[in-house]
Amino acid sequence: MALALIVILPFAGALLPALFARLGRGASALAAFGVSALALGLLLSLAPQVFGGEVVHAGRPWLPRLGLNAHLFLDGLGFLFALLILVIGLLVIVYARFHLPARDPGGRFHALLLLFQGAMLGIVLSDNVLLLLVFWELTSLASFLLIGYWRHLPESRQGARMALTVTAGGGLALIAGMLILGDIAGSYDLTVILQRGDAIRASPQYLPALLLILGGCFTKSAQFPFHFWLPHAMAAPTPVSAYLHSATMVKAGVFLLARLWPVLSGTDAWFYLVATTGLVTMLVGAVVALFRDELKALLAYSTVSHLGLVTMLFGFGTPLAAVAGVFHILNHAIFKAALFMNAGIVDHEVGSRDLRHLGGLAALMPLTATIGAVAAASMAGVPLLNGFLSKEMMLDAAAQAQWAGQGWVVPLVATLAAMFSVAYSLRYAAQAFFVRRHEAYRKKVRDPALGLWLPPMLLVALVVLIGVFPGTFAGPLVTTAAKAVVGAPVRSYDLALWHGVTPALALSVFAFAGGGILLWRYADARRLWLAAPQPQAKPAFDAAVAAVTEFCRAVTDGLHDGSLRHYLGWIIAGALVVGVGGFLGGGHEAGTRATLAAPPVAIVAWLLLVACCAGVLAFERRRMLALVMLGVVGLIVAFGFLYLSAPDLALTQIAVEVVTVILMLLALTVLPHETPRGTRRLRRLGDAALAAVAGLGAGAAAFALMTRDFDSLSSYYLERSLPDGGGANVVNVILVDFRGFDTFGEIIVLGIAALAVFALVDGARGLTRTGVAPGMLAADLHPLLLAVVARVMLPLALVVAAYVFFRGHNAPGGGFVAGLIVAIALIMQHVAGGTGWAVRRMHVDAPVLIGAGVLLAATTGLAAWVFARPFLTSTYGHFALPLVGAVEVASATAFDAGVFLAVVGAVMLMLASLARVGRGRAKRAAAPAVPPTAARRAED
Amino acid sequence: MTHLAILPILLPAIVAALLALAGRRDLVLARTISLASAAVLLLVAIALVVGASDGMIRTYALGDWPAPFGIVLVVDRLAALMLTLTAGLALAVLLHCANGWDARGRHFHALFQFQLMGLNGAFLTGDFFNLFVFFEILLIASYGLMVHGGGAERVRAGLQYVVVNLVGSTLFLFAVGLLYGVTGTLNMADLALKVPAVPPADHGVLRSGALLLLFVFALKAALVPLHLWLPGTYANAPAPVAALFAVLTKVGAYAIVRLSTLAFGDAAGELAWLVTPWLMPAAMLTLTLGMFGVLAARRLAGMISFAVVGSVGTLLIAVALFTPQAIAAALYYLVQSTLAAGALFLVVDLVGERRPALGDLLAPGPRIAQAALLGSLFLVAAIAMTGLPPLAGFVGKLLILDATRDAFNRSWIWSLLLTTSLLAIVGFARAGSVLFWKGGESAQNAAVQPARAAVLPLIAIGLLLAANIAWTLGAGQVLGYLDAAAIQLFAPAGYIDAVLGAEGGNE
Amino acid sequence: MELLVASAIGVLTASGVYLVLRGRSFPVVLGLALLSYAVNLFLFASGRLAVDLPPVIRAAGSYTDPLPQALVLTAIVISFGMTAVTVAMAVRSFLESGDDGVGAAGAADEEDAGRR
Repeated sequence: MALALIVILPFAGALLPALFARLGRGASALAAFGVSALALGLLLSLAPQVFGGEVVHAGRPWLPRLGLNAHLFLDGLGFLFALLILVIGLLVIVYARFHLPARDPGGRFHALLLLFQGAMLGIVLSDNVLLLLVFWELTSLASFLLIGYWRHLPESRQGARMALTVTAGGGLALIAGMLILGDIAGSYDLTVILQRGDAIRASPQYLPALLLILGGCFTKSAQFPFHFWLPHAMAAPTPVSAYLHSATMVKAGVFLLARLWPVLSGTDAWFYLVATTGLVTMLVGAVVALFRDELKALLAYSTVSHLGLVTMLFGFGTPLAAVAGVFHILNHAIFKAALFMNAGIVDHEVGSRDLRHLGGLAALMPLTATIGAVAAASMAGVPLLNGFLSKEMMLDAAAQAQWAGQGWVVPLVATLAAMFSVAYSLRYAAQAFFVRRHEAYRKKVRDPALGLWLPPMLLVALVVLIGVFPGTFAGPLVTTAAKAVVGAPVRSYDLALWHGVTPALALSVFAFAGGGILLWRYADARRLWLAAPQPQAKPAFDAAVAAVTEFCRAVTDGLHDGSLRHYLGWIIAGALVVGVGGFLGGGHEAGTRATLAAPPVAIVAWLLLVACCAGVLAFERRRMLALVMLGVVGLIVAFGFLYLSAPDLALTQIAVEVVTVILMLLALTVLPHETPRGTRRLRRLGDAALAAVAGLGAGAAAFALMTRDFDSLSSYYLERSLPDGGGANVVNVILVDFRGFDTFGEIIVLGIAALAVFALVDGARGLTRTGVAPGMLAADLHPLLLAVVARVMLPLALVVAAYVFFRGHNAPGGGFVAGLIVAIALIMQHVAGGTGWAVRRMHVDAPVLIGAGVLLAATTGLAAWVFARPFLTSTYGHFALPLVGAVEVASATAFDAGVFLAVVGAVMLMLASLARVGRGRAKRAAAPAVPPTAARRAED
Repeated sequence: MTHLAILPILLPAIVAALLALAGRRDLVLARTISLASAAVLLLVAIALVVGASDGMIRTYALGDWPAPFGIVLVVDRLAALMLTLTAGLALAVLLHCANGWDARGRHFHALFQFQLMGLNGAFLTGDFFNLFVFFEILLIASYGLMVHGGGAERVRAGLQYVVVNLVGSTLFLFAVGLLYGVTGTLNMADLALKVPAVPPADHGVLRSGALLLLFVFALKAALVPLHLWLPGTYANAPAPVAALFAVLTKVGAYAIVRLSTLAFGDAAGELAWLVTPWLMPAAMLTLTLGMFGVLAARRLAGMISFAVVGSVGTLLIAVALFTPQAIAAALYYLVQSTLAAGALFLVVDLVGERRPALGDLLAPGPRIAQAALLGSLFLVAAIAMTGLPPLAGFVGKLLILDATRDAFNRSWIWSLLLTTSLLAIVGFARAGSVLFWKGGESAQNAAVQPARAAVLPLIAIGLLLAANIAWTLGAGQVLGYLDAAAIQLFAPAGYIDAVLGAEGGNE
Repeated sequence: MELLVASAIGVLTASGVYLVLRGRSFPVVLGLALLSYAVNLFLFASGRLAVDLPPVIRAAGSYTDPLPQALVLTAIVISFGMTAVTVAMAVRSFLESGDDGVGAAGAADEEDAGRR
């Protein structure tokens, strides 16, 4: 339980600083401190068990099916890291309290810091690699937010994005690697995986897994060639650099190397990949560090170098080296955190971090100078300081390493690196604190407040204590941690101060001598360095990102060019490919169904139809004409329906045809009547070809269907229509009863269409166009004769509609057609009398009709609920009606009435709306033209 | 008998009709009714989930006509899940719009309710012509919503959207004709029975019919190359409407899953899984182009639209495997990506109105009001969308990676999923830092104050993100349900018996 | 007869597709109308053809398949609603932008739909 709390606390506690920020940064810092302290207390409460060699487990399943479980465990390694994270965390919180600018309440800062702390603890305590991944990426996010903390500085934003891209990218590789690892081990739980070392190393998937996992580790721990993000992360506030980018987050990579050491290490692949990378990184980092003048940059590169050192040690794959690695992780965290805080103090007090402008600070700020000097000395590996011990062990391990059978490669490079690290460490201390500075500092420079110097001072104390009494102060910690890594118990002898005269000692003497010389001839060395080519990481990275972005832009813009023609081309062509492809994929035989003979009248109709289609195409530019031809096509289709025993279809088709044509006529009162020329011939040919293929496809499919026999559901409808549906017109019964639900949806579509049309046109009020060829305007639309005819026709139409409606259930007709007839009749009033006239006389509100219609249909359907029957269950009875005769009035008839109302309302609303635009334009065509923008403003 | 199953269709229909009648004058009234209806829908949907979780498939025979002759609604685990997702998203979007946004055009709430009716119907119906009708309902409502508020570019985009979908509807009817012409039925369960019996002589026609139908579904789901309409539409639609549209693509995905598992599953013999060879490559391409678009985007809305395309690709990759495990993973991802996309579009709306000069253009401008708050909301939603830990997006991706473990093209899928994630991360990080970090504290005073107090929108976004987090924490339980749903899909016999077995099939 | 109907469907489809691919709203609307004729005929044909057998129950006799007719009826109505919306949108779009092209600004339809 305590274990789980250690991880949960920082997350839960992250809210507190944000809340306390109102009370000033002291409060928010205090809150953060409290949370971390509590977590630390819990950790220490578990110390006895851990040192007793026990592994503490906690957690509960999260996603068992996936093997993603919230399982935690605490062993020596986890304990060491958790301790580092919490202790240094506490010191950083105190330090930050005094380091952040006074106007910053620090709420966001401390909240993010705690979030990071929680994520980091999660990494080192996870007993499930998938859970570890979660925390892993969380640290990347936290570091992204913390590097970008000063959001107004471009270097913060860019550094943050670079860090995120590299580390999160590596994290993605790690995901794949972990999945493979779990795949081999048969579980994602570390405790299990750690047992399967041999199986994993033997598996053919070992190498891909290794590569992917190392991808994650190396990016996180800034190993060459992924090291470039770390220096740019220095844009973060110094406390962040001290915490994330030296002591903890960048250690996550090497932590994982240590964690998986028992499973992955010991192979050649491991040795050459890990040890070599570490070796190179160690040298490169050290060399670059020597020639950096900016304190934090220097420290950043030195961090890179030391991470390389640790990586190399784990890469050797020998227990001794691993122990050294663990030990150095501890030592480096301590002195490097101290150094960053030290650099932060200098920056804070002096206002500069540039070695070239610093010097002689020892006299002005003795405490700070002491901190800097001791920590730097430890970094250089001066005896009696903790850095010395682990460096000795490193050189010792290096001396024994064989690289490609050569015994001299590793020791040489390692010593070179050590030499450079001696040089830059001494340069840091000497240049900043001891070399005399010629002109005086602008402001009064003195040691900072207690809050700023105490935390690093404590760390420096540790540096010395561990350096002198390693067995006492680091022994148990390191041995238990090392035991967790290596598996076997480690003799504490390894952590002694004096190993006698060993090759390692010799190498380290060389290193010091060389370092001294380097510093003595620094000017020459620098000249040499400046002469050498300097690959710049950031421009290269930016260029890469830019290139990828440009590529994506090119692809995206190329595809999404906003051309409807292209979109439709893809769709139609795709449909053909899929349809034809599908057809060829299956067997096919020509149908055997007897075909009907084609009477001459049909052939004539067919010819007419083809002619009209051709006409529509030919006169496409002259829109009126094209529209007329379209109407003719519609009529022929209707005729076809009638001839092929579908009277209902014929009726509906004709009615709809009329309305559609009126609709388009109204549209043409606004739209231009001519389509200007301009399409390329080639493009037209292409379209024609596509169209031809589509036509062939559709025709062939239709023919294939019509020429084969099949049995369908229809027999049922034919039998049940009269007895159960109470109607002889099966089509109508299907519409209002068997499949009344379709019709219910259909009238709703119509209703929505009307509302949409209304909304569209309503929104267009005030919009107008100048210079449109004034065509058929509503004004020209009502010659007297037409007006008279229309008004006479109205009542007639109503009677016809009623007739069509009531006979619909038994003979062709029905609510829909009736509705259309009425609507047309009413619209004729518009067309003839002009909207004004019609509106004056029409006291019905179209939307009300629609709503009423839908509601009537719905309630009819709902009535069935009373009889515990499903929606739309129908019933019917008979009674006689004058003129029409005996009628079954089915409840379906009421439903049909709903359809009728909705149709009338919808069609009227549509046509009326469009007619209004036309008239609006007509008026304005007379009035002086209004510029569209002005018009739109008028609209709002 | 219970009428619960039809409420998700009937309620919004009636409410919408009432709104068309009464709600036109009084916006507050309309708003209240609309919100209430959405809330009730959510409750009904949850009730259906609870009901479905016992594994029983409930049917509702309209007009009491026995299937396959009448139209039947079917509620299984999957359908119930989709209903809940839709209702939840709708509620959040309505909350957002209730902030005065809905006053910018006519009949917003009526259209919105009709949209819900169409969506729910599409999820419930067991008849593929009826499915066509509901597609038309949700489409035509979406046309109305799409151009809500107007503006030249928006209407132009709307016109494109309409035309593309009309062509789609035409194809739908061609497909229906082919399927009916060969099998003589319109009922999906009945189709599942008829398909195996179809003589080889008709397989060619049947295949092209089935594939055309799936093609239309792919068009709705915005599968490459049928995705071209989506970015323009979503990016130009009013942001809150785009948030609702986040579920539209999922209808297509749903229909693909439904039809394939039901009628063209293992039982279909030669015709089994006939969509797979087309679906897998297209889905991988969709993911790629989607994430390319994210990186290429110049406007926030555009970026999120492409992220939606990418998420469709991701989930269809999983679907294309047609294993219960993969389908469950796909469903998990589907829900979370919809929630994330919805939240993101709502954020776009808030950002847009705080940058009167620039809107959602990805260019530095004056510091916006509530930058920190909006920034963190954006961050959380972006984490979910890009599939970073700890949110459901990550869990979903893990599930999909895990489900593709044994796929023949595993290494391709894995590297694709992971590299595209990186593209998305870079894109979103850039967008976030440009919008919420640039134009630093210095300009704080000059921050543009929004026209409206953003309380309701913030609540709406909060709800969506909270849902996403719950989806993450409860992943274990959720996946239990989803696995069961997937298994139910892969045992179509249960569905078929429920529909055709007992007379009417009503309990 | 079947051949006539099938070829008619083909011609209608072809003309429709061609018009839909034109860059301006009005031809596109015409094209959609033609396509809807085509698909209605197709759906109707999926019930096979018959002469003088309307599905209205009489004393005796056989009938053609009524179901596709019902479907086509629904389809006709729906496509009518769609046409109306398309037309309205075309009009609105024209009023908004002063041009009846259907391509987004700067799209390749440009030259098809030259701006005023």
